[in-house]
Amino acid sequence: MLTLALNTFRERWRLFAGAITAVALGVALVQSSLLVMVATDRAPIPAGVTGRAREELREGYAGAATLLGMTVMLSAFLTVFIVSSTFAFTVAQRRRDLALLRLVGGGRGQLVLLLLGEALLLGLTGTAAGVLVGLPATWLQARLLIALGFLPGGFPLVWDGGVLIASGCVGITVALVGVLAAARRAAKVRPLDALRDTGGAARVMTPMRWLAGLSCLAFTIWMVSLAQSADLLGAMLMGLGISIMGAVSLSALSPLVVPLAGRVVGAVLRTSTLGELAQANLRDGVRRSASTAAPLIVLVALLLGLTGTLGSLALMSGEEQRHLVRGDLVVTSTGADLDRIESVPGVAAASPQISLSMSVTARHHEANRTWRQTHYSGIVAIDAAAYARTHDLHVRAGSLARLRGRTIALGPGMAESGIRVGSTVTAAISGHKTRLKVVAALRATLENYSETFLVPRDLVPASTIATAKAETVIRLAPGTSRSTARTAMRAAGADKVQTVPQWADTRTAAQQRGNMGILAVLMGMAGGYAVVAVINAVMIAGTERRTEFAAARVTGLTRPQVIRAALIESWAVTAIGLVLGCTVAAGALAGMLAASLRAAGRPLVDVPWTLLGITTLAAFAVTGAASIWTTFSATKPRPVALLAARE
Amino acid sequence: MTSTPTSALPIAARVPPGLPAAELLDATREYGSGNALVRALDGVSIAFPAGSWTAVMGPSGSGKSTLLHCAAGLDRVTRGRVLLAGQEITGAPDRVLTGLRRRTMGFVFQSFNLIGSLTAEQNVALPLKLAGARVRRADVRAVLASVGLGDRLRHRPRELSGGQQQRVAIARAMVTRPAVLFADEPTGALDSASARTVLGLLRTMVDREGQSIAMVTHDPAAAAHADAVVFMSDGRLVDRLVRPTAREVADRLARLEAAPC
Repeated sequence: MLTLALNTFRERWRLFAGAITAVALGVALVQSSLLVMVATDRAPIPAGVTGRAREELREGYAGAATLLGMTVMLSAFLTVFIVSSTFAFTVAQRRRDLALLRLVGGGRGQLVLLLLGEALLLGLTGTAAGVLVGLPATWLQARLLIALGFLPGGFPLVWDGGVLIASGCVGITVALVGVLAAARRAAKVRPLDALRDTGGAARVMTPMRWLAGLSCLAFTIWMVSLAQSADLLGAMLMGLGISIMGAVSLSALSPLVVPLAGRVVGAVLRTSTLGELAQANLRDGVRRSASTAAPLIVLVALLLGLTGTLGSLALMSGEEQRHLVRGDLVVTSTGADLDRIESVPGVAAASPQISLSMSVTARHHEANRTWRQTHYSGIVAIDAAAYARTHDLHVRAGSLARLRGRTIALGPGMAESGIRVGSTVTAAISGHKTRLKVVAALRATLENYSETFLVPRDLVPASTIATAKAETVIRLAPGTSRSTARTAMRAAGADKVQTVPQWADTRTAAQQRGNMGILAVLMGMAGGYAVVAVINAVMIAGTERRTEFAAARVTGLTRPQVIRAALIESWAVTAIGLVLGCTVAAGALAGMLAASLRAAGRPLVDVPWTLLGITTLAAFAVTGAASIWTTFSATKPRPVALLAARE
Repeated sequence: MTSTPTSALPIAARVPPGLPAAELLDATREYGSGNALVRALDGVSIAFPAGSWTAVMGPSGSGKSTLLHCAAGLDRVTRGRVLLAGQEITGAPDRVLTGLRRRTMGFVFQSFNLIGSLTAEQNVALPLKLAGARVRRADVRAVLASVGLGDRLRHRPRELSGGQQQRVAIARAMVTRPAVLFADEPTGALDSASARTVLGLLRTMVDREGQSIAMVTHDPAAAAHADAVVFMSDGRLVDRLVRPTAREVADRLARLEAAPC
């Protein structure tokens, strides 16, 4: 059996090229991710750095680990997806060969073994390539994580031979898992199929596919309807769920949905002869059309759905900040200039928020667990009275009015941390340890990295305040000109004077940057896989159509006409895939729309148009190029030679 | 393993004495249902005698291929029974049929159905490997030599002519020394010279080794090589000729095709 597998593999390596690339990519990514993770685990935290820097390093490593973990999962999933669709193709294509094996005495188990053997060879080849590609990939990934701010510059990479075992296991497992469905289908091929052209094995919609497609579709529709009445966070989580489930559902059902959509496209295509031929082929070659459209559906749904959902969340979080702050200007300066800024003529109220480098050690309670933790970032000093005048306060417990003397309040960033109001925390300000009583807790906001602790300004020594960075919300007295006030503020030492909407936008943009970076990395990777999958599908389909193309040429089509008809078909399938993907993304964003209408009274949905435009152009370019190239090389031999060589 | 390819037993002895190589008893095969019901076989009873060559002829759509498929257990009869070398295979599970394909049956088809990526030698050895038998290269080479291809061992199917490919297919069918060889239009894709070679080869196998052959064909010249020719029309057996000439077969076929429906 292994000899036969080896022979098939050698004979049909072109068919497997896409799957090998996918396995190699998967192995490279898993290997580099593991190596970077090992490196973060071993990276020493430099001696003598401040607690705050240590906390930042640790948070960066945790962020990197999350990103790497998601990378590993996603790449494993996508590799299995590509390998399994490749094998589904080869089984459909080789039905006669497989039936022939059954005819000369091959048992079902032997056919399964044959395919497993092929998958093993594919896995080994892919792994070997992946291990080599993984070496530069590790370096690239580390650079990327440094650029995203997860890892410190000059982060030392390490090599661990253990990852080779992991790489091998991943490559081979992924290939074997990918072949399982196809192997099961191959075992069902009947010996008589060697003599006939149709039969049970020609079916594309298997019961498993129906089950997976319909159950995911039902779940997606349920989530879309639920998202209409969910709160913002629920709508966001459901948006992510809808993107993933909807993509899986439509790609499983694509053999049904794509030809159906093809009828709509057909109305346009039928106007020309070539278009008519393309449309007929699109409906006839269900497996081919579906395998090209499926990766596009998954990519577009995930790309637009996730980016749109997170983008909309950023929009709403900006909107929230705008509503929380009741002021005209936000001024950035050092603590030393605060007094001069507050005394600018026309200032009715000024509420400074001074960022401090101090630490707070608090006891957290959660379910039946309790622990102490020291926090360094997001601690600010405020003037409670001024803060209340310039903010729309949402206090969860306690009262901000009591924030005076040796007290502390929990900011939105600590709302869900389990620190109790009324408990005592230890603060270290400029080297002095003080015990502070928790007197209030603010409600959580949509932001990711909000203020963690608020301390009264009078608690902090003036010398510390003078060097700290401050943001002051200014309310102007009625009749004061904004531009005059701005000029005066700058003269008083302000670094930056912004309106509240400007400030809110900058703030959310900065906070979303991390999210978007993670998303960009993951989606860039998914995009790479989609490109491999689409090229793979177009190329495999093109090679199997040599006789079909030859027949078309014998009927009277010129070679350029054949190429054009195939191109029209590919592009029609691409358009269908894009539209279906957008449908899923729209379902995901519908929940965000409903939530924003309820929360803010106006639609706050970030439709990533630029991304959609780029994806559309790239999809048409990639499928177009792959289609032209495969049709060109499939029509190279004289048509008669191909037709005669059929039997 | 009940038999190995090297067993010196004459092939005819692989069928229990007195029993036909393959037999259909009152077999009916229907496709579709309701208005679209097609009865490809309609209560056919036929025995393919051991050690002899039977040809099945008939107009297109007369059910001759279905007859062969059912006799070989590739297709299932709707009603009736099927016996192969004395063994009932009417409702046999796939495992049993696979076993029979490995040891008791051989197949030759119009499209040669060789595996393109394997050499002639590997193609011939394949059924033995699938059966888990020990493969002796000498045996494989002997079989290929017996079909006149001793010098084409390393060639792949696409490097061989149609006649040569069909001879490889016959060698592959014969390497397991099957009790019965099923042939479906074995000369359908060959030129007349190659066809004569292939038919002569089959004749020799029957005469020298007592091979049982059940063959479906369109070609009166091919049928004339057989020991007996049975004629089918509309899923029924309508006639039987023993040792006919090509002219007799052609006349009978012409009358069948001209018969009013």
